[in-house]
Amino acid sequence: MKFEKRRANTKQEIPTASMPDIVFMLLLFFMVTTTLREVDVLVDFKLPEAKAIEKIENKRLISYIWVGKSGRIQINDSIVKLEEVEPIMYAKRQELPNVIVSLRIDKGTDMGLVTDIQQELRKAFCLRINYSANIKI
Amino acid sequence: MLKKRKIAEAAIPTSSMADIAFLLLLFFLVATVIDVNTGIGLTLPDYVPPDEQVNIKVDKDRMAAILINENGDVLVDGNPVPVFQIKNNLKPRIISKIDLPSNKKLIVSVKTDRKTNYNTYIQALDQVKQAYFEVRDEYSNQQYGKKFDNLVPEQQDVVKDKIPIIISLAEPESVKK
Repeated sequence: MKFEKRRANTKQEIPTASMPDIVFMLLLFFMVTTTLREVDVLVDFKLPEAKAIEKIENKRLISYIWVGKSGRIQINDSIVKLEEVEPIMYAKRQELPNVIVSLRIDKGTDMGLVTDIQQELRKAFCLRINYSANIKI
Repeated sequence: MLKKRKIAEAAIPTSSMADIAFLLLLFFLVATVIDVNTGIGLTLPDYVPPDEQVNIKVDKDRMAAILINENGDVLVDGNPVPVFQIKNNLKPRIISKIDLPSNKKLIVSVKTDRKTNYNTYIQALDQVKQAYFEVRDEYSNQQYGKKFDNLVPEQQDVVKDKIPIIISLAEPESVKK
């Protein structure tokens, strides 16, 4: 007696139609994770809160200066001295004439340091500034 | 003889719709800026070397001098004022100068001590900005029946011209030792 295998007549294939989409998603995921970290912030800071704040319209024009709790100043990827602020910012201004400097300064900083940085910025002709602040609810 | 005509099925395959939707979602996730850049905008004056500085006399009535000391106490034109009252203090003065020509508008001068806390300074600056924004909103409401943000750019320019935000940062004094 011969046994006949009873098998369903369906195809045994994995549908691959959505494979490109899945790949695209993976690609997008990696794109997202890589672009998020532009600059490593090396200083520890907590922004002040304010109500009358505005959004900076053009993100491309922004250049950041961080000032941490310890009073250290960071521009781009490195900690800089106060005297170095002027040449760096001057070079930036030559690349982008209407640069907006976003000052991300810690709440507890003394105004003396802030004024000093502002004086440096004035010397470098970076006159458009923005005191970064979180919205107060 | 009857011809049997096959009717083609007219259905769009929707199985990949979910994927397309996910892709779109991801696209917008990417396109939206997560790190919102908000803050108080300001334009610094040109740098003038200390020996070239000239004192320009400004009419006393035009000036609102805000002085913040190291303890966070605020003086507006010599009178002690709590930080959160700066707005109410300035608003009537801004309103009273709406119809004056542009060389008679209010100038708000903010001066701090070297030891003043940055947060206090931002709070004070915030109050000044709020005062201006509220006056602008009220004026826009009277004139056009809308808030300042909802006006067309030409109208905004008119309001900006009527109520310009002039904030002057006092030249830092050399440190006394």
